[in-house]
Amino acid sequence: MTHAPVIELDGVSVRKSNCALLDGIGLRVSRNEFVGIIGPNGAGKTTLLNVVAGFEKFDGRLRLFGRAESWKRTRATRMRVGYVPQSFEIDPSFPILAIEAVLTGVYGRTGLFRSPGEPERRRAVELMEMMRIAHLASRPLGHLSGGERQKVSLARAIIQRPEILLLDEPTSNLDIAVQMEVLNLIADLYERESMAVLYITHDFNLLPKCMRRAVFVNRGRIVFDGGIDRALTGPMLGGLFDCPLETFERNGRRFVSFG
Amino acid sequence: MVEHFFEGLTYLPVQRALAACILCGLSCSLLSVFIVLMRLPLIGVSMSHAALAGAVIGTLVGFNPVACGFVLCLAVAGILGPVSDRSRMAPENMLGIFFSFLMGVAFLGMGILTRTKAGALSLMWGNLLSLSRRDLVLLSVITAVLLVFILLFFKEIRAVLFHRKLAASSGVPERAVYYTLLLLTGAVVSSNLSTVGGLLIFALLIQPGATALQLAYDLKIFFLVSAAAGIAACVAGLLISYVFDLPSGASVVLVATGIFALAYALSPKRLRRRPHSEEPAL
Repeated sequence: MTHAPVIELDGVSVRKSNCALLDGIGLRVSRNEFVGIIGPNGAGKTTLLNVVAGFEKFDGRLRLFGRAESWKRTRATRMRVGYVPQSFEIDPSFPILAIEAVLTGVYGRTGLFRSPGEPERRRAVELMEMMRIAHLASRPLGHLSGGERQKVSLARAIIQRPEILLLDEPTSNLDIAVQMEVLNLIADLYERESMAVLYITHDFNLLPKCMRRAVFVNRGRIVFDGGIDRALTGPMLGGLFDCPLETFERNGRRFVSFG
Repeated sequence: MVEHFFEGLTYLPVQRALAACILCGLSCSLLSVFIVLMRLPLIGVSMSHAALAGAVIGTLVGFNPVACGFVLCLAVAGILGPVSDRSRMAPENMLGIFFSFLMGVAFLGMGILTRTKAGALSLMWGNLLSLSRRDLVLLSVITAVLLVFILLFFKEIRAVLFHRKLAASSGVPERAVYYTLLLLTGAVVSSNLSTVGGLLIFALLIQPGATALQLAYDLKIFFLVSAAAGIAACVAGLLISYVFDLPSGASVVLVATGIFALAYALSPKRLRRRPHSEEPAL
């Protein structure tokens, strides 16, 4: 069944000091689609995510949920787009507990002059239980490990009940076991919640199984948009990253290594 | 000797000085939370130099130097946020540029000035015992506005202090909150120039927040500890300066440093980390 597109970009460009970070990008993403955004460093992947998130000024047309949008967003639109950054550092002394950090995700939804109530707190605890970090709820966020903080960040975005989830290399800087755990959580959340997901990654050996579409970005342009099986081949990836790469299969999964 | 201070409280200038101390301690320490957690230590000194530059310009063109200082301080606070956001420069770098530019303007103006510079320079030192009723009313109004803003938008302030981009992504009006906090910083600094002065206010914008950072993990307690430290430093500083006939601004700053040193020495955050640091080196 084909769903209506929730993200539509048409001729979207971002220029900084005469340099095109994005150059006439066109992209449509439907509800319930999980799309991998893949490309070398400086290709424009994060800029693309920032345009959709409303953090970046752009030329061209962007429609979210069928409505034309600029970089300035209404609160209602922002609440429908969740964002998970790369793992971030925080001062260990910073005065915020893990559960409070999760609850910041509902602040937009609760609106001004109102604090999150018991239902929001229950939902935060539920999400933290699902991510196996409920026992850390009353710990200062800065005392958590990088992986635990990334789970808090994921819970913070999900409590927002987004219809679009933007993930900017959410497993970078995490060890392999935690990467696997975060990846499984993302796949679980995708199955449970009805969301379109844009997922930036460099690591082809750790792709969620639910990612069935890949978009290759290079020099600010989309150079490939299609099924993950067609994307994950030695010649395709080697061409994108400009180095010899080959793929092989083991236990039904495809892996990438230097050719 | 302390009785001497209580006797002095029957005099209007001493009453005003005490009220101003409490208001100054409260307003600066509340802002100190924002300045310490967002790591903007240069903001106080930039604002006070904006006030000095404004006062010098005012003296040059024949306007009220204090009013001109207040206006320029607010103008700098108003443009700082949008300029640093648009230029994509870290706010602390932008503050460094503003600070040096304003210092240049102030010194250039003082070089050109042929009349007395006392009106402009008084903003750098302040004088608690020569406060007018108007000074006190202005300080009360700005402290009240700051307090109401924090009480009404506490959760939005928490989200912005935690992570501006994440706050924006969840629908919090982060720019409005951040820019308002910058504007309030300008207003608080300029309204306190007559009390502790532009040079020493820097300490009151850092030390209470830095004290709370040693003691609190909860943001509400953080604000309370900071406010208590700020008010205690101002009142105790005034008392010491009155009793021992010392400069009031310097006494306030030294007491604030003493409170910070005590908090640092007793910090549960620091003491809790100690066992790890005592692990034998391999």
